[in-house]
Amino acid sequence: MAWLAANLAFITAILVVLPQIVGDFWAFTLALFLLYAVACLGLGLSWGQAGLLSLGQGFFLGFSAYTSGLILIGFSTSAWLFPLLGLSVVAPGLIAYLFGCMIFHGRTQNTAFFAIITLALILLAAQIATAWESVTGGYNGLRNIPGLPGFSELEDAYTLSAVALGLSMMFAAWIMQTPLGVLWRALSQDERRVAFLGFNHNQLKSVAFGLSGLFGGIAGTLYAPQNSLVTPDLFGFLLSTSFVVWVAIGGRNTLYGPVLGAIGIGLATNTLRESVSFWEVILAVIFIVAVLYFRKGLTGTAEPAVKRWFERNDRVRKPAPARHSAMTFDRIAIENLNLSVGNVGILEDLDLNIGSPGIYCLIGPNGAGKTTIFNAMTGELEAQSGTVSMLGTRGIKMDARTQTIAGLGRKFQVPSVFDQLTVGENLAIALWSGRSSRRDLLRLSLLDWESPVLTELERRFPFLTDRRQMVGSLSHGQRQVLDLAMVLCTEPRLILLDEPCAGLSLAETNEVISTVRWAVDRFQATAMIIEHDMAMVRELADHVFVVHNGSMLFEGSVAEVQSNAAVQAVYTGGTK
Amino acid sequence: MTNKPRRISRRSVLAGLAGGASIMALPGGIRTAGASNPFKMGTFFSLSGPASLFGPTQTACNALAVDEINAAGGILGRTVQIVAGDGGAPPAEAAKTAVRMMLRDKVDVIVGSHDSAVRQAIVGALKGRIPYVYTPLYEGGECAPNTYVPADTPQQQVRPSINAMHDSFGTKKIYLIGNGYVWPQQTNALAKRYIAEFGGSVVGEEYAPLGPGNKFDDAVTRIKNANPDLVLITLVGGDNVNFNRTFAGFGLDKNIKRLSLLLEELTLQGIGPKNGNGLFSCMSYFSAVDTPANKAFKARYAKKFGEKAPPLSMIGVDAYSGTNCAASLINKAGSTDAKAVMAASEGLQYKTATGTGTMTNRHVAKDMFLAEAKGAEFKIIKSFGKIGHGEKCSV
Amino acid sequence: MDPVLIANGLNISFEIVTLALVAMGLAVTLGLLGVLNLAHGEFVMIGAFCAFFVQEQGLSYLWAFPLVVIVCIVIGWPVERTIIRALYSRPFDTILATWGLSLLLREIVEFFFGPGFNSVDQPVSGTVNIFGADYPLYQLLVMLIAVVLIGALVAWYVKSSTGRRIQALVDNPDLAKSVGIPTIALARNTFIFGLCLAGIAGVLLAPIVAVYPGMGIDHVLKSFFVLVVGGLGNVVGLVVGSGVIGGAESIVAAILDRTAGYTFVLIVALLFLWKKPGGLVSR
Repeated sequence: MAWLAANLAFITAILVVLPQIVGDFWAFTLALFLLYAVACLGLGLSWGQAGLLSLGQGFFLGFSAYTSGLILIGFSTSAWLFPLLGLSVVAPGLIAYLFGCMIFHGRTQNTAFFAIITLALILLAAQIATAWESVTGGYNGLRNIPGLPGFSELEDAYTLSAVALGLSMMFAAWIMQTPLGVLWRALSQDERRVAFLGFNHNQLKSVAFGLSGLFGGIAGTLYAPQNSLVTPDLFGFLLSTSFVVWVAIGGRNTLYGPVLGAIGIGLATNTLRESVSFWEVILAVIFIVAVLYFRKGLTGTAEPAVKRWFERNDRVRKPAPARHSAMTFDRIAIENLNLSVGNVGILEDLDLNIGSPGIYCLIGPNGAGKTTIFNAMTGELEAQSGTVSMLGTRGIKMDARTQTIAGLGRKFQVPSVFDQLTVGENLAIALWSGRSSRRDLLRLSLLDWESPVLTELERRFPFLTDRRQMVGSLSHGQRQVLDLAMVLCTEPRLILLDEPCAGLSLAETNEVISTVRWAVDRFQATAMIIEHDMAMVRELADHVFVVHNGSMLFEGSVAEVQSNAAVQAVYTGGTK
Repeated sequence: MTNKPRRISRRSVLAGLAGGASIMALPGGIRTAGASNPFKMGTFFSLSGPASLFGPTQTACNALAVDEINAAGGILGRTVQIVAGDGGAPPAEAAKTAVRMMLRDKVDVIVGSHDSAVRQAIVGALKGRIPYVYTPLYEGGECAPNTYVPADTPQQQVRPSINAMHDSFGTKKIYLIGNGYVWPQQTNALAKRYIAEFGGSVVGEEYAPLGPGNKFDDAVTRIKNANPDLVLITLVGGDNVNFNRTFAGFGLDKNIKRLSLLLEELTLQGIGPKNGNGLFSCMSYFSAVDTPANKAFKARYAKKFGEKAPPLSMIGVDAYSGTNCAASLINKAGSTDAKAVMAASEGLQYKTATGTGTMTNRHVAKDMFLAEAKGAEFKIIKSFGKIGHGEKCSV
Repeated sequence: MDPVLIANGLNISFEIVTLALVAMGLAVTLGLLGVLNLAHGEFVMIGAFCAFFVQEQGLSYLWAFPLVVIVCIVIGWPVERTIIRALYSRPFDTILATWGLSLLLREIVEFFFGPGFNSVDQPVSGTVNIFGADYPLYQLLVMLIAVVLIGALVAWYVKSSTGRRIQALVDNPDLAKSVGIPTIALARNTFIFGLCLAGIAGVLLAPIVAVYPGMGIDHVLKSFFVLVVGGLGNVVGLVVGSGVIGGAESIVAAILDRTAGYTFVLIVALLFLWKKPGGLVSR
């Protein structure tokens, strides 16, 4: 909490001192840009944290500016005024959240499409605000909006905006630190992996977008009384894209970046465009250069994106609770699976049965369809016919998240770890999987969780104890191991590993083999491992499946496979 | 005006003004006595945004008027100094600039040519504390305290022009098309009244959304089917250009007259010389107005800005008249006190580009003209003389 | 046949065809390279100014076509090299960078030509009578040229080896590289090709619309929706998307008015993004 307190003091000091430095008239101008900064802070959350670039942040500002204006006009003397204004703060947040639920529902969104959809949203809002004259005042806007009772002087504008910005920044600082913030940053790097760790990625995104809406709501609700006029300009393409420019130049990932961008660039534009002839050109060039070479913006290099919890040395680790779901073995039955992509058939009438826990290796030449079997099991690819029964279901399709909660752990061929997070954060995300409720994601104490499994993994792979290390700076082998460790931290009962030892040194390989064996015994789990290295298969496998041309060629013990003529033919004749 | 469009950006004009400003900032010995206590005039012209094509003319016309005012002794004996603001900024930002002008720069008067949303924001910010002169044509109805509107009102534009078209061409069946916002709607509401007065009929009315560029093929088809004698156009900017080009492209210009109420030289340039057949406009200024006053004005303008002069257009020249209006108003009042200025406004006479304007009810009775597009220029068909504004603001 | 029906049919066709014409370049850059070029409209604008420039010099309108191709190459080459190439794998950043580029291009054109409206004369004037409906000859020509262009694009994309190579590039960039397809050059040429298509659309539209530095945004917004509705898969999606967006807008506009038509288009686009984000014609 010390860091939060330091921020609170710093922000408060700046906001109090600022008007003394710049003078009253600038403070009044600044009042507007502090509100814009609140909206930009919201954009920073959705874009910088969760990776959702919105070209329509002005929608939320505008929406609540109109509702706040209408409320102030209609109820300025009513006792209900402040509760109603509270609604106008919250409403855009709810709208954004519901909009997110609608848009993100059940699929991975193309990034560009989200930008376009938000663009369509503000264009539509601008159209409605202009056309619906009886309510919105049309093109000329809603006018003669009274000030907030008790806050109608010029100086009050700054005070209100400053308090709103201060509180918003505190809220943002806190939420960026919570497990939710960690998950957003993970999400913006690899959405699929977050789903395969058992989190509802669509809902996480909706929450981020909802909060960006809420920040727009705060700004808009104060905008109306401050300006006494609300026009469709707020839904303009220009304002929303300006927000994006400001946040990008200021630094999208940081707490201070969006704020500095909004105040600095916004205020500069407000004053310089009257005196500097080529201001727009200068701004455009700065912007392009920032996008190309300073992706983190002005503050990105100076301030770490988020003050990392794990940098504290005095943290006391707490045992994580047990996973919610029971861990018992369940048989795996794949029957008559046919799967083709385009007109290329990949799996043909594939059958695979596993009746008891243990380690099962899948071997077969390149292109045999091994990874596709995993993809069909986890719903990444849809089979044309056939059934998969596992994890207590019989041929019912589950998404990656549900499967993970039910006990699936999948490691992809390429290490899917979150490069921009620390080792500690990566492992923590895995620990939260299946153990945290939605509300838990707001508890900072989750960052202190540990489990016996994690302790054992740390013993086996000492680099995992350096929790502050950025994952991006790890070696390939360490990333492979971290990925595996994350899978095992979820304590799965069905483990799918795709070449877990690719690129590892001999020592690392041996340690991984022994760890997998240890985990399977400990969890009473079933591990299915795709492996090319026959030496490893010999070490690991209780049972081997040989896949060839999308069908099951042979299955049996290692010795049986090695002596089977058909398998030998495939391996000697089939591949070169 | 020549046929060839001039390539002037507002940059060059701004650069020119910056030069002028630096001369004004020369050491004390060279300055006139009045410069030590300048009369500060805040301006809001369209330096950015969609209306920025008018910015250079507005700035230039304002500068010319300020030169002339200073040569004639300034305002209240003080040299006029400009504090420039951007009228193309979003309303909220313009309001902040207005407050800064008022409290920090201590401007004595504000002159603006921009859209109505910005006007309302400025009115809201000033709250009548300093005189504010709003110059471009608008929908009428601005009666805020200490606010003066030498703009063309719908009554001034619509009534004489629609009657003149009826008298000259017998246009009785009229089709109304405009952008969907307040100025076209108010203007058309008035137009319907006047059309009924001479027994004409409205055979169609439609509005296109403001914002995206519209295509007008379907509107032109509807107009063709409605077969009016006259189309009354209250489209603005690019839409006005697109509509008129499409209208002529479909060959409707041969039989149907068009009367556009926001059509000045710069928009006509976009419509093009071949698409202006039977296209009329009614405003208080055209560069082609053949009065001695306008000839002299154009000569002074050409002398000051020479080759690089931004082309003259109604939205722009209004800044010249508006600046003069502000100067005369305060000189007549003898102070910038709100009450004195309000009182002085009634019956005020001031110099416009084409003659004089007379202010009553804080609006201005002025000479109106009906012009027909001939190639890239206008030809004045009719001078209506002084036309009343029909506004009823109290003083 | 009823001339009113014919006239409405022609209007709807024109709306659809011009939409497809403008969206064509965007479909190439977004669909094939994954680059959402927000400066697309500015290249349409540059095309229109090429037509204006040619007219100013007293040359034939037809000279605008070679001129716009040269201008697009001259601008597109360094832009691709310095801005776009670094961002092929960063779709968000492309959106941002091209937005900056659009500001820059507008300011540059404004510097040379001023902020005002310009007009380009129609190279052929007059109307033709089609089953009782008078229709501008030039617009008829634009429709024909646009249809031919779209047809050529389909044929080129499907038949030619470049088309196949781009398909390979799209389907699997790494593989394309490993089998020796020069991805860097191919991507650059594809990007410039997309710009040229935008420029040519600008040249064709210039005699009908208002020509001014800010015109790009007017033309580009609906193109996004066309691609959203049609899907990014291929040129068929472009035609389908233009049909849905252009058809919906002009039918509603013909029945009610432009405001209703435009609002309807935005709602249709939102519904598609919600319910069918892959578009009607998937890859």
